[in-house]
Amino acid sequence: MAFVNLKNVTYKYPLTDKPALQNINLQIKEGEFVAIVGPNGAGKSTLCYTLAGFAPHFFKGELSGTVEVAGKISNQSTLDEWVLNVGLAFQNPFNQISGAKYTVFEEIAFGLENIGIPRDEMKKRVEDAMTLTGITDLADRSPYSLSGGQQQRVALTSILVMRPKLLVLDEPTSQMDPIGTREVFGTIRKMAEEGMTVVLVEHKVEWIAEFADRVIAMHNGQVLLEGNPSEVLTSNVLIKNGFGLSRYTSAAREAKKLGIWKKEKLPVTLDEAVEGFKK
Amino acid sequence: MNIEIKDLRYTYPTGLEAISGISLSIKAGEQVAIVGQNGAGKTTLVRHFNGLLQPTAGSVMIGDWETKKQSVAKLASRVGYVFQNPDEQLFSKDVITEITFGPKNLGYSKEKIDSLVGRALAFTELGDRAELNPYDLPPAWRKMVALASIIAMDTPIIIFDEPTTGQDSSNINRIANVIAKLRQEGKTVITITHDIDFCAENFERVIALSKGKVLLDGPARDVLGQEKVLAQTYVDPPQLTRLGKKLGLKETVRNQEEFLKAMK
Amino acid sequence: MRERLSFYIKRDSVLHRLNPLTKLTLTMALILIAFLSPWYWTPHFILLAAVLPLSFAGRVFPEFIKTALRLILPAATFLFLMQAIFQPVGETVIFKFYFLDVTRESLMFAFRNATRIFVMVSSFTLFLLTTHPSELMSDLSRRGLPGQFAYVIISTLQILPQIQAKAQTIIAAQRSRGLDTESTFFKRAGAIVPLVGPLVFGSFIEVEERAIAIEARGFTSKNLKTSLQEIADPSFERTVRWVLILLIIISALLNLWPS
Repeated sequence: MAFVNLKNVTYKYPLTDKPALQNINLQIKEGEFVAIVGPNGAGKSTLCYTLAGFAPHFFKGELSGTVEVAGKISNQSTLDEWVLNVGLAFQNPFNQISGAKYTVFEEIAFGLENIGIPRDEMKKRVEDAMTLTGITDLADRSPYSLSGGQQQRVALTSILVMRPKLLVLDEPTSQMDPIGTREVFGTIRKMAEEGMTVVLVEHKVEWIAEFADRVIAMHNGQVLLEGNPSEVLTSNVLIKNGFGLSRYTSAAREAKKLGIWKKEKLPVTLDEAVEGFKK
Repeated sequence: MNIEIKDLRYTYPTGLEAISGISLSIKAGEQVAIVGQNGAGKTTLVRHFNGLLQPTAGSVMIGDWETKKQSVAKLASRVGYVFQNPDEQLFSKDVITEITFGPKNLGYSKEKIDSLVGRALAFTELGDRAELNPYDLPPAWRKMVALASIIAMDTPIIIFDEPTTGQDSSNINRIANVIAKLRQEGKTVITITHDIDFCAENFERVIALSKGKVLLDGPARDVLGQEKVLAQTYVDPPQLTRLGKKLGLKETVRNQEEFLKAMK
Repeated sequence: MRERLSFYIKRDSVLHRLNPLTKLTLTMALILIAFLSPWYWTPHFILLAAVLPLSFAGRVFPEFIKTALRLILPAATFLFLMQAIFQPVGETVIFKFYFLDVTRESLMFAFRNATRIFVMVSSFTLFLLTTHPSELMSDLSRRGLPGQFAYVIISTLQILPQIQAKAQTIIAAQRSRGLDTESTFFKRAGAIVPLVGPLVFGSFIEVEERAIAIEARGFTSKNLKTSLQEIADPSFERTVRWVLILLIIISALLNLWPS
């Protein structure tokens, strides 16, 4: 029994003709780290909103098929019940600040107050989450005074602290510096190993190969390809449809034409590339 | 038009010193990328180039103008600045009107404005979207509109603040093309970016900032190879540079072309 | 970059330690009594004997006086002049202003109304300076105010500084595009659309995304909410609140009393 199960899911935003998602079928196991790639407008964010219950509960529009997470069906639940299982963080960090809180610590506690966690447990959980994402030194700052990258860490921590069973992240590190991004991906990876199921939208392909268990490539609202990162991210289908490749993949692809790359399979990560290019 | 920065210091009203003594000179027509960790002072530095921030100490010269003595509106004729978030500048009913706003402010003739707007639309491949309302476009394309609206001002110096965030690979290629065309026209392009591969592929000179100071400054090849120093400001060398090092290539390679050449 | 996007200043003082509802009641009492009391000198007395000392008790006097003066002095001065000149009461003419007589009575009248406005805005400023917004929200929702309602109040209290920060970025972006916001009045008037446009359009996106973000954090959860801050409400404060309410009622009655 899959933890996340999407069956024939088609979704149309209100006042639009073309469905943003078309006939999506997708199963995700508990504790799996799944990455979604695809060009702008492929339906990645809509898929995130659908998993997190906002399509259709928040946006309205038409959803057909079934969206099932942790044994519950989206169409048969209310949004406030749904978000107890599924956490969502997205790209623009400024708009994710509640606007009602004075410090980062309080900002992160906001969600726990809403769902009625007792004070002592709340403090403990906020402290733990901040340690996990490495922002304990920001505790007393105003969320608004932080840089974009720091705000993104706060947004992520604010949702991690809720301990969702499914964590949905839509480009959560777009404003972070490279090493910060790696730290955050490491944290998310750790959460997955501890049993949290993760769905992540990300443009930076080389990170995905390093951290995710599986990749789903989306195009025009449909799943074009899915499978393990090293296969999907080097497939010809992706290249033909204008997906971004890791630099290792593109370089090896050209090198293959020149006879420098001898293996059949192209590399995605640094290690694979080093191994293949070594004489 | 050259940029001369002498002993620049900047302290925010909150008491935070964001720039702690930077001296730089950027020659006309250079393509410069500024990299560094969150909070290194990148945005604070470039906001001095068009007078949005005034030095607490030291000076910034844009050609023969000292930024302290000019208004931002006047400096806009020399320095164009594309902000990170397009939603903080778009206001027009359609894309073409939005792009016309800047050149109009600079008081160009109608013919010149028309040709500049046409050029900006062509550079950013927005031609078939010119009549649409910017807010009906997806965020990634709103960013292209913001970019076009600054290119159309035809300033000798153009600053991009994180142009590639949230963009897919086709739009990143479009932005790279824009930068290449601006280079051909002899413009100075200064870009703040976290995307180090984009930086390696499109810029000749790289400045790495850390804690309000210049950590490294030089040709991309020299700067991007220094893995240990770059790590101080949370930056990794580009993918192919790392690969080249691991394979024991003698020279630092920055992009695919250099990599393949070195491998032959 | 601003460090704080809220009026509140974190300090340790008697005023800060008071329960938020007590402070709210106190603020309302100061304002209502200043307006309702029939005694002429009440607003002046409240300003000098209550609001000012309270700003010292709250250890926020410098910020208080700065904010209060910047916010209200212009408005209060304008109101004073208008009423002093146009209020047709009294006969004791002090001086003539063209064809208008400024009488002693109109001056007195204007002075009191200006002071009332001053009391109103300054008490409210003092309240915001010393009350932690989320404590107020938690306390109000604990007392049965619906969570959404409390959120709207609190985020509105914080919205001014937020809009200010956003507006500063927009101004910077448009000035970078050659928009002249510094010179003549006509140029500045023409600059309204490019400045307000992004503020309005951008806020549509912002409001939607913020709604999603807080909803994702259980905002509409039917669970009983808890609060990070422990908000004390000792019994003497309850007594203080009742006394304040009583004072308001007495002022109202005295005001209605046929003199």
